Amino acid sequence: MKTPARISRAVAAGVALALGLTLSACGGGSSDSAGGGGSDKIHVLVYGDAANKVEKQLVATFNKTSKVKAVLDTIPGADYQQKLQTIISTPQAPDIFFNWGGGSIKPFVDADLLLPLDDFIKEDPALKSSFLPSVFDSASVNGKPYGVPMRGTQPVLLFNNKKVLADAGVTPPKTWDDLLGAVKALKAKGVTPIALGGGDQWPTLMWFEYLYDRVAGPEVFQKALGGDKSAWESAGSKKALGMIRELVDAGAFGTNYDSVKFTDQGSPTLLATGKAGFELMGSWEYSTQQDSHPAFAKKDLGYSSFPTVAGGTGDAGNLVGNTNNFYSVMKKTKHPEAVAAFLKLQYSDEFVKAQLGIGNLPTTTNTEKFLGASASPGYSKYQFDLVKKAPSFQLSWDQAYPQSASTPMHQAVQQFFNGGLDTDGFIKAMQALPTA
Amino acid sequence: MTTTVSKAAVVAERRTAKRRTGGVGRPGFAWALPATAFFVLFAVVPLLLVAVLSFTSWNGLGSPRFAGLDNWTKLLDDPVMLNSLWLSVLITVLGVLVQTPLSILLGVWAAGHQRNRAVLSAIYFVPLLLSATAVSVLWRTLLDPNFGVPSQAKWLFGDGNLLGMQSGAIGVLVFVGAWQFTPFHTLIYQGAARAIPQVLYQAAQIDGAGTVRQFFHITLPQLRNTMITSMILMVVGGLTTFDTVLILTQGGPGTDTTISAYYMYQKAFKSFDFGAGSAIALLLVVVATVISLVVVRVSGYDKMRSSVEGL
Repeated sequence: MKTPARISRAVAAGVALALGLTLSACGGGSSDSAGGGGSDKIHVLVYGDAANKVEKQLVATFNKTSKVKAVLDTIPGADYQQKLQTIISTPQAPDIFFNWGGGSIKPFVDADLLLPLDDFIKEDPALKSSFLPSVFDSASVNGKPYGVPMRGTQPVLLFNNKKVLADAGVTPPKTWDDLLGAVKALKAKGVTPIALGGGDQWPTLMWFEYLYDRVAGPEVFQKALGGDKSAWESAGSKKALGMIRELVDAGAFGTNYDSVKFTDQGSPTLLATGKAGFELMGSWEYSTQQDSHPAFAKKDLGYSSFPTVAGGTGDAGNLVGNTNNFYSVMKKTKHPEAVAAFLKLQYSDEFVKAQLGIGNLPTTTNTEKFLGASASPGYSKYQFDLVKKAPSFQLSWDQAYPQSASTPMHQAVQQFFNGGLDTDGFIKAMQALPTA
Repeated sequence: MTTTVSKAAVVAERRTAKRRTGGVGRPGFAWALPATAFFVLFAVVPLLLVAVLSFTSWNGLGSPRFAGLDNWTKLLDDPVMLNSLWLSVLITVLGVLVQTPLSILLGVWAAGHQRNRAVLSAIYFVPLLLSATAVSVLWRTLLDPNFGVPSQAKWLFGDGNLLGMQSGAIGVLVFVGAWQFTPFHTLIYQGAARAIPQVLYQAAQIDGAGTVRQFFHITLPQLRNTMITSMILMVVGGLTTFDTVLILTQGGPGTDTTISAYYMYQKAFKSFDFGAGSAIALLLVVVATVISLVVVRVSGYDKMRSSVEGL
């Protein structure tokens, strides 16, 4: 008789404990962020990093005059995408959130969560016309604008070590043949011609992005992205792949590039210490080097745009990379007017100056006026001119495609590079990627 | 009156006696309740939810859509999935083969009583204190082909492309796993070796058996149950290896080190295909259970009796 009584007491205690746990879990969730349902607030969700300084400043500026107050929520960078995906369809969803445009917001558009910005732009045309078109367009989905640029642009450039190049009698290559020649000359000098963080996979992808653009033109990738899988079998696609193969086989990247990473400073250090001549990398290479090899960044870090390819259809001015980051707006926001007013700040003089101050290069048309005040004016000016004149600015493939394509894409790219996949295998892998 | 009282007293006495014999050293079901409650709440319930999810298509937005057997049929056709199972088993088996002999030898050695052994053992157990993340970052840096150990020992490592090719990457994963977990298993073996009755060794000595013979005829047989425990832990740990892969290889090069646990993460949290991720997770649970059961059966663990008297 006694034992059952003891058991039921224990069960009761267990149930009470379990309830307590679930209750406290709920409490934690709701106090964390009051969500889009807040009566007089709009929540702005951003990727947590050093650039938050500017976002904080703008929120403060906005709150000085607005009746509806903005609240800035930050999520540490590495967790951003996962956390965003988790909360975006819940009551905790923000009103405005940071993203990479293109494929990164397509699932949200498909799930009918985002507000097309057409009406905002009709009301205030400057919301579109104040930004460089090649950048603004990369946050359009199904022909409708869904994002306003909100940080700095990051085109991919061909960086070099001036001293290594001079020692080998090489100048920054203007054409593909120049590059092949430089590879030969650098190899003869005993240095790795091109540093590559193949372990991270996305640095390898940059070579595909540029070669496809130069050889076949940006249209081929746009076709593939639009769902026309035959684009991957086109003559241009095969030619670009052949050239990548040629470059790898020529030993341009050495043999151990897949054991090197960019993210742990592996490939940047190769360039800075003179063990490599070139590195193809996003514009953040400059600040990376400034942080860890300041003397090198000041004296010997050179940069040029990607070489032209004879007979290729892509314009030599075309760029690839991260066009910018964007603010997108949730459809269910209760304060569209306040949101519109907040977005206007993204092309204000204050925004441009603050971004330049932390080394970012905003993509508003008025950026040019303030370039002199940037952390490294020459570099900023060079980049801004490139972006401004670019007939096409291709968003990185892994961000242009939906998130679900990124892993298989990276795998195929790495395998084609190290010989694990042949041309047909690569084409098949790319055709298997989900496009919608 | 006295008789009734005494009768009641006898009954009560009998009851307590019964409870005592049942009670001494034999815990009742209630003892397991708190742990069971937590297990149900945090393991069984999520497992059931995962099972449900594996029959849906869900990218984390809105509510899951029922997809029937879609995820399962796709999974069984997926060469990456089959390969990932094979890789998981391979890494697990290699891990057991490397760690077991090492930890037995070290454990038996550390079971001695000399002072220097205590100090050396303490130093040796340091990897146990480090998080898997720290361990992986440490080895990733040490094995950097251009600035790490391989660049100083080209005669051994060649171009240092350890993580850039399949055999090298798997070797590194097994090595790092062994570096991290051998101390733990050594600790288990040390405890077990110390529990072996000294009489056995004294008797053997009198019979003229040397150290090696003693090791093979007394120590190893006496460690049998410990070996099974330790190997089951290694198997379960090996099949669920994740953090080292995430940091050291990211499943690469290509899919060459994409083991099942990492593939599950890729599907669920990088591709936001929670249905497929859940299916892989379930498959992994099944495989791990089967392997554990096989180990238990083959080793006779289920017939194991405690050697403590009275239990």
